[in-house]
Amino acid sequence: MQKSIAQRLQRFLPFVTLALLFVALTIATPHFLTAVNLASVARQTAVINIMALGMTLVIITGGIDLSVGSILAVSGLFGTMAIKAGQPIPLAIALGIAAGLVCGLLNGLMITMLRINPFIVTLGTLEAYRGIALVVSKGLPVHEIPERFSYLGDGNLLGIPFSLWVLALCAVVMHFLLENTKLGRYSFAIGSNQSAAYYAGVPINFHLTAVYAIAGLLSGLAGMVEASRLMTGQPTAGLGYELQAIAAVVIGGGSLQGGEGSVIGTLIGAFIIGLLSNGSDLLGINPYWQQVTIGAIIIAAVGFDEYRKRRFATA
Amino acid sequence: MLLSLQGIRKSFGGVQALSNGNLEVAEGEVHLLMGENGAGKSTLMKIVAGMYRRDAGEMLWRGQPVSFTRPAEATAHGVAMVHQESLLAPHLNIAENIFLGRETTSALGWVSRGAVVEKARRIISELGFRLEPETLVGRLSPAGKQLVEICRAVALGSSLLIFDEPTSSLSESETKEVFRIVKELCRRSIGVIYITHRLEELRSIGDRVTVLRDGATVHTGPLNALDRDQLIQHMVGRPVNATYHRESLPPGEPLLEVKGVSRGFLRDISFVLRAGEIVGLGGLMGAGRTELCRVLFGLDPAEAGTVTVAGRRVDPKNPRQAVASGVALIPEDRQISGLALKLSIAHNITMPDLGRVSSMGILNKSAEMALASDYRERLRIRCSSPRQLAGRLSGGNQQKIVIAKWVARGARVFLFDEPTRGIDVAAKQEVFEQMDRLARGGAAVLMVSSELPELLQVADRILVMREGRLTGELARPTTQEDIMRLAAPLHTAVESIQ
Repeated sequence: MQKSIAQRLQRFLPFVTLALLFVALTIATPHFLTAVNLASVARQTAVINIMALGMTLVIITGGIDLSVGSILAVSGLFGTMAIKAGQPIPLAIALGIAAGLVCGLLNGLMITMLRINPFIVTLGTLEAYRGIALVVSKGLPVHEIPERFSYLGDGNLLGIPFSLWVLALCAVVMHFLLENTKLGRYSFAIGSNQSAAYYAGVPINFHLTAVYAIAGLLSGLAGMVEASRLMTGQPTAGLGYELQAIAAVVIGGGSLQGGEGSVIGTLIGAFIIGLLSNGSDLLGINPYWQQVTIGAIIIAAVGFDEYRKRRFATA
Repeated sequence: MLLSLQGIRKSFGGVQALSNGNLEVAEGEVHLLMGENGAGKSTLMKIVAGMYRRDAGEMLWRGQPVSFTRPAEATAHGVAMVHQESLLAPHLNIAENIFLGRETTSALGWVSRGAVVEKARRIISELGFRLEPETLVGRLSPAGKQLVEICRAVALGSSLLIFDEPTSSLSESETKEVFRIVKELCRRSIGVIYITHRLEELRSIGDRVTVLRDGATVHTGPLNALDRDQLIQHMVGRPVNATYHRESLPPGEPLLEVKGVSRGFLRDISFVLRAGEIVGLGGLMGAGRTELCRVLFGLDPAEAGTVTVAGRRVDPKNPRQAVASGVALIPEDRQISGLALKLSIAHNITMPDLGRVSSMGILNKSAEMALASDYRERLRIRCSSPRQLAGRLSGGNQQKIVIAKWVARGARVFLFDEPTRGIDVAAKQEVFEQMDRLARGGAAVLMVSSELPELLQVADRILVMREGRLTGELARPTTQEDIMRLAAPLHTAVESIQ
């Protein structure tokens, strides 16, 4: 009985942390709990959050995708260049997302067909996709994009940032995918025990490829939101985002060993990171210390997870 | 006396592995340790080597009571073990492996690469091996790795060497080489404990023999006082257990037809399994039984021959094809290949056949739960709910989940690879009943087991393998001695000695 309480506490620990953080910031500074500030937090975290949803799926299979930040840049560039070339905005956005999908698909195909470790493949494409973004743009950002494009990243719908609606839709779909589809179930199975899944006749290569393609697609979408928020297509956009996305998943209870992770956990993880950085800004804390704090939280979250598993194993 | 063990007891989570282990080894003696799989030989030796701690009993080393709590302590006293599976670092060279962990303990403090290689070369030539000290261990054959382990033991100044089935993976000429080394070690008055299954090896190497059965020493004595039949008698011991007796069914249509299958060292294997049959597959470790199951399940596709399931030629190239044709494998290492421990019981059961509870890729969770509950009841899986994680169940219950998922998938050919390893007696009985129920439900069952009494109790007929070939088929009634005769190349070896 004791164990189940401890387990339950562990499950809700990220949520409790987020809630405490929220309350503490509300008390600490009057500038926190305002519509303007919250909307700004939401916009900032939406991009990382959308990427982190794809990362959740990848990490559940026991893999990793280091190339999401570069995919974000490729997609943002392709999308904004299409707009500049006179394509209708919805089509351009779709093109940007499709570019992300293709990048992810390539990751998946290399991982499954060449049987190279996902860390290595995506480390390679982290460089290569970034290089493609620089080559295509000749290193220069895309500017002077029609104002209407800003709606995706900066607009409001029913008083709520539009990007938050996009995130909510993605989160719902991803949750459904994880919990209610074969793809989701097989992802857990592959991450929990790839060998058992293989013995059970699960088409592992097909599903793994699909998983990386989905992660690419979501990074593409994140790329378009980012481009719209900043109203520019930057070849250097999304530098280091992959680590933030991984951090969000891990803080939210995902395990790099695979087989564990959830949409709600990842959302909470991303918002914890978002609130920490926003709170530090509002309280005038040195931004360098922010980095220290976030790093400490990642290690604490994973350390706690390992502690829990050791108890689990010996019990 | 170098080593003396009296009344050693050891249990693992309620399973008694050793109840009364006794063994004495003198200096310069080759002492054979024999017994069936699971008799407790390895457990006893791991206690000597400091890998396990005994629960009770006395251990004397050169007359002094000792207790090794870590392998390093045993090593410091002079006990070394040559493992069946090499425990060397494949990315280091031979010399580095021989002196691994002791690089800086020399008086010089820092040992240069050249000095280590020279020292290794000296030991290698003293023992008369043909090894180049700078070769990477990963490039050596299993035999070469064992030689390196022997060098390591000698370099450590060990006075007792334990060989755990050293020849099970070796060729005949390599085996002779191992024997030569063992004799050389004796000449240096090193004591040797030699674990083996291969009866034909005995007389060319051993002085005395100790036989373990069911965790207890049942015989110790000079080897030449025993003939082969007496030895087998000691090992097998108990009269055939008549508590479980299975009524055979009249066999039905052929469900699995294997013709001329070869792959690797598997050669030209042909047999038929019929509906309603339980067929045993016996043989010694390394005879190729697991490898055959892997071929039939498509994990390692056959290089030649055909596999026909229920009249349709399948020749599975991967497990998907095997599963689709109705073949199920319950692997020996069920925790590794059979179950996803982090997933729930229900999710494990439906894993091979999610299509049945989904449409367009979307799961129908209530149908899934109903299916899982149904099979959970049919197989009497003891759990609080099908949502419980598979990793939290006992070994016997995990086994049932693995069976349940295949039954739910509608498999008709069941390959059980060592289904009773590591589960207790009551759970074993249940596994037998499961197999019987599967057979009565019209399935064909192939049961791989190293435990002969089990095969005799459960199987309608028994196929025996040796060194990658099917050496014979025994119909009921048969005896453990008959199986052993087909499994081990006794005749030639014994005749040549006598």
